[in-house]
Amino acid sequence: MKLIISNVSGVPIYEQIKQQVKSAILSGELQEEEPLPSLRTLAKDLKISVLTVTRAYTELEQEGFVRNVQGRGCFVMGRGSELIREQLICKAEAGLAEAVRAARMAELPAQELHHLLDILWEENADG
Amino acid sequence: MNETLKAARLDFFLLRPYWKTICFSIAVPLVYTSVARSLVSGISFAMCMLGIISSYTFAVSEKNGMERLYGVLPVARRHLVFGRYLLIGLMGFLALVFSLISHMAVLRALAETVEVWEIATSAVMGILGYTVYVVFQVPGYYKFGTVGGKMFQFIPVTGYLLTLLLLPRVDPDSPVLAAVLGQPALLIAAVVLLCVLAYLASVGISVRILRNKEI
Amino acid sequence: MDNVLEVRNLSKSFPGFQLKDVSFTLPKGYIMGLIGPNGSGKTTTIKLILNMLRRDGGAVKILGMDNIADEKAVKEELAVVFDSNYFCGDWTVAQTETAVSGFYKKWNAERFHQLLKRFGIDPAKKVKDLSRGMQMKLMLACAFSYGAKLLILDEPTSGLDPVSRDELLTVLSEYIEDGERSVLFSTHITGDLERAADYITYINCGSLFFTGGKDEFVDSFRIVKGGLNDLTGELRKRLIGLRTHPTGFEALMRTEELENLRRTGRGGRMAGGTAADDLTVEPATIDEIVVFTSKTGTF
Repeated sequence: MKLIISNVSGVPIYEQIKQQVKSAILSGELQEEEPLPSLRTLAKDLKISVLTVTRAYTELEQEGFVRNVQGRGCFVMGRGSELIREQLICKAEAGLAEAVRAARMAELPAQELHHLLDILWEENADG
Repeated sequence: MNETLKAARLDFFLLRPYWKTICFSIAVPLVYTSVARSLVSGISFAMCMLGIISSYTFAVSEKNGMERLYGVLPVARRHLVFGRYLLIGLMGFLALVFSLISHMAVLRALAETVEVWEIATSAVMGILGYTVYVVFQVPGYYKFGTVGGKMFQFIPVTGYLLTLLLLPRVDPDSPVLAAVLGQPALLIAAVVLLCVLAYLASVGISVRILRNKEI
Repeated sequence: MDNVLEVRNLSKSFPGFQLKDVSFTLPKGYIMGLIGPNGSGKTTTIKLILNMLRRDGGAVKILGMDNIADEKAVKEELAVVFDSNYFCGDWTVAQTETAVSGFYKKWNAERFHQLLKRFGIDPAKKVKDLSRGMQMKLMLACAFSYGAKLLILDEPTSGLDPVSRDELLTVLSEYIEDGERSVLFSTHITGDLERAADYITYINCGSLFFTGGKDEFVDSFRIVKGGLNDLTGELRKRLIGLRTHPTGFEALMRTEELENLRRTGRGGRMAGGTAADDLTVEPATIDEIVVFTSKTGTF
């Protein structure tokens, strides 16, 4: 699994680790029951605080993506990819709701909004 | 005891880079003896030179900021003191033995006769002189350092000059001297006792100084 | 025993300086940064831990042992790297090992030589002929060669180039990797700690300012910037180390204070009468926190 920490992104390091682990789970790169890198080894390799990695792993566990087995490390949960998918759908829904609100304020007909969405969909597929 | 030996060993390593200077200091009095043809003053000179060397361990450790190493090593401060006295004492003993033999050899080579009472007097003077130099100097360096305690470095030289000054005034035929030399066992016992007491007092003072020192 | 180092109410008075009631705890397996401006008491704290200075009050426990009563046992488990070399300059590296190794029961000569090789130190070279970075590495090599459980570094990176500093951090991360050993790292170059440190203890003017997780420390402050007209009295009271310039101001603020102001504010304005949106709020770095907090002297 690739893990790259940016110092200038402004995103806290633990958040960066979480996001990258999540996307690795979603993309199938990390399979069910596969172990995450050991906490202390990862901290050493990335030269970051052990507590930072601990926080990332703990939050991943709380959110149900991984499971911590005492003394053996963290393992990817089977439900991990489903959870992420659910989260992403929620995010898409929220974004769309926002778009609908803006469209109503601008008195944009539903048809044109659909059309806009289609254009954006196409554009994004290219990118 | 083990700790003391380790500390003495560490001090030995401090002096090791200076072995040439130390050998030179012990050799110079030989020249003096060959000129002055007196074993007593020659040995006194040698022990004075060695007395000066007892400041070296302090000077070297100060120069290198080694008090921090002493603060890190797992060794009690009193053992550092014991070790330092042990090394200084040992060096004094070896230097005395070496000097007695070498100075006698020089005098013999120059066809001088060396009498037993001269050897005994030289040894006693050497031991007493060195003891005086060490027991006053070392606590001084512990207290003030070699820079602050620079005046302590004059103790051996002053002591030696005093010896030179007083030595000719001793009448070799005086009954007192004869009486003292006539009881060699008593003499040696007295000298040993005196030196042991002096060293003990000095070690005690040094330990107290170092224990209270903040480094 | 899960704490490698426990410092309780440590106090020490000098003429003109006082270390007051400093307490912190370092669990095993972590790196703690000891930070503060020069003269704030970092080195005094370290020297008290080492019993090089006599404490006036408080207690220091290392692996559960008192640092004075069990001094010898404590120092077998303790390794220290100072800002400059403390070995005899005339020794060669090999002689340094001979002189020092005898003091440690657990000295591992093989490990020492591996480390010399890794750090690129020539055993035949004299200590005084090594560069500053190399001298630091020699102290580290000694420190790592007797299985010490606690490594204390006092300003090890001052005067080191960025390459050596980076190497040091790598070595430290490896040192604590097995979760049994800890590092107390005093520095005023906080960039070194920004990533690697787990805990921060911040001492200022001899008093403990903060001790705890690094993320928590960094998170509890924000940099606040704004125009001069935003600078109301209410806000001003809450700012730390305020700096004004003709076009605006910048200062540090406790995150909770900032949130309090926002919460109690009505209609988009903060309690101080400043529009919350007018202020630029940024996360603070350790460096900024130290700079702003030591400017005022009050917290």
